Amino acid sequence: MIDIHDLEITLGHKNIIKKVDVHVGENEFVGLIGPNGSGKSTMLKAVYRVISKYEGDIMVMGDELKRMTIHESALRTSVVPQHTYSPFDFKVIDVVLMGRSPHKKSMEFDNAEDRAIATEALKKVDMFEFADRSFFTLSGGEQQRIVLARAMAQQTPCMMLDEPTNHLDIKYQLQLMDVVKSLGLTVLAALHDLNIAAEYCDKLYLLKNGEVYAYGTPEEVLTPKNIMAVYGAEAIVTRSSNTGFLHIEYVSNHAKTARGEKTRPGWKEPRFFKTRTASADAVGSRRPGRPPGAFVLIAF
Amino acid sequence: MNYVKERLGRLSTISLIAVLAVGLMAAMVAGLSIGNYYIEFWDVWNIVVDNIVYKLSFGHIVLGDPDYWGEGVKYDIVMSIRSPRVVMAAVIGACLAMSGVVMQATVQNPLADPYILGMSSGASLGATVSIAVGLSGFLGAALGNYGIATMAFIGSFGSALFVLGLSSAGGRTTSVKLVLSGTIVASLVGAISNLIVVFFADKDEMQEISFWLMGSFAGTTWSKIIIPLAAFIICSVVFTTQIRHLNTMLTGDDVATTLGIDLSKKRRLFVLFTSLLTGTAVCFCGMIGFVGLIIPHIVRGLTGNNHWKLLPVACVVGALFLVVCDILCRVMVPGNELPIGILTAFCGAPVFAYILIKRTYSFGGS
Repeated sequence: MIDIHDLEITLGHKNIIKKVDVHVGENEFVGLIGPNGSGKSTMLKAVYRVISKYEGDIMVMGDELKRMTIHESALRTSVVPQHTYSPFDFKVIDVVLMGRSPHKKSMEFDNAEDRAIATEALKKVDMFEFADRSFFTLSGGEQQRIVLARAMAQQTPCMMLDEPTNHLDIKYQLQLMDVVKSLGLTVLAALHDLNIAAEYCDKLYLLKNGEVYAYGTPEEVLTPKNIMAVYGAEAIVTRSSNTGFLHIEYVSNHAKTARGEKTRPGWKEPRFFKTRTASADAVGSRRPGRPPGAFVLIAF
Repeated sequence: MNYVKERLGRLSTISLIAVLAVGLMAAMVAGLSIGNYYIEFWDVWNIVVDNIVYKLSFGHIVLGDPDYWGEGVKYDIVMSIRSPRVVMAAVIGACLAMSGVVMQATVQNPLADPYILGMSSGASLGATVSIAVGLSGFLGAALGNYGIATMAFIGSFGSALFVLGLSSAGGRTTSVKLVLSGTIVASLVGAISNLIVVFFADKDEMQEISFWLMGSFAGTTWSKIIIPLAAFIICSVVFTTQIRHLNTMLTGDDVATTLGIDLSKKRRLFVLFTSLLTGTAVCFCGMIGFVGLIIPHIVRGLTGNNHWKLLPVACVVGALFLVVCDILCRVMVPGNELPIGILTAFCGAPVFAYILIKRTYSFGGS
């Protein structure tokens, strides 16, 4: 459905994305993870056409993006962007109805069908009773749910999420992801929270400095080794016996100090971990209780 | 304000426009009777109605006494001096308000107006060039009497493009960059205008140019109204076909793109037509600031941001505002006339300041 081949994006003089390949199959939920500045948002922006200067191919449902008009691509992909601010206020229902724009001619009014679609979307995100409120009076989390409803009203086969759960309370993070997951669409999502990525994604691409560092199932990608190499944080990955999903715990200096281990602040990521192969066997190899910090010791 | 807002909020858009249109009519009638020489309401009424009926029926229906409404001082004042002026004020008010509304959607910034974005300065540069330097040769012959209008349009379109280009240089257009570019272009273009005035203009031309800098409806004739009216009609048709896109554009660059709006195309289209409006307005009546800024602001408070309501209501309110301002200009200084640009600035600055200070103001929440 979404195939990105040899994508290269240069903003200013900085090469943000370097020869990246990403493939999202039909009805797959694919996550882009990586630290701030790794290029996940930039890459998504190229796919949802806010960034138009790129090299390589982006195919959406078999067609090259550059050959499509912006209107055509709005019929194929909808977007839940990072929290955006516009100085103009609208009623909630009008915001959701804007999602119908690509299906409408400029002079056309919204008809009963559009209203039904918008209402349905609002109900799904549990915001129906807010339909007549002003968008500005809602909290950040509520606004983000309305934005999701707008994307749903667009009724596209693909949806892109650009760090959609930023600034949301945990309840709404889960709710938003649940709603998206329940839609069963082809989803490409830039995600910040590794636990959420592990729980919802079928496939993950781990980006580092604009390159794909590792990809595969959450088990293959979210290994302590990869997390250390890309995020520079020590982590313990276990499979939760309660949910059955991977669970990532971070081991902070503070945690180690509390346990009486020696730590040194401000350490750098170890260079010799730049392996491209992601091994699945690392998962679960570090059981809680076993002293973490083996990597830390090697690092120095 | 809140009470008024609540009251008006209950009216449907059509009844709101109807109420405002009645107000506009009343203001226009007042505009015909008030001035240096006061004319009684019934005199105005008879002259206007009888003349309109006579002309619409091609001379077949004659009401009242033609010697009374067909000639004389009152007839001259009402029909030849004040009527065109009042109609012009209404048309220009609607033009400026409409271009303000569309400009704000185009750049997704409630601070945008033709004045701030340098369009008015560009238009007055165009007018200055054609007055002071004069158009000669083929260009002058081809444009004839419309030389000033065309040059004003070219000036306003050129400076609008310049502002858009400057603000999008090196990445994305932001509101701060946009306002700064507008200021840069406006002062640059203003300096060029002044340069031309200093070197090329004689005394008469200087006075004619100072007319552009302050704005006035004095000396309007019926024949001058045709172009602004045509521009208004063309642009209202164009913008009406774009209303859904205008609404969608208010959600911001990124979102509008994901909702299928080709922003660069739409921006060019809207800039072209708003500069047509601004160019003609400046050409015929000079620089009348703040109308394109305050009127959309006030109307957004009443109708919300949906352009189906906002655009027509803003046009009527803009027309009403300039007709009233024009009346005030005529009566405020006895025996003399105030340039209208001065008055709109006096009205506009405090309103704008109030908008800025009032923190809860959210640009048209419902």
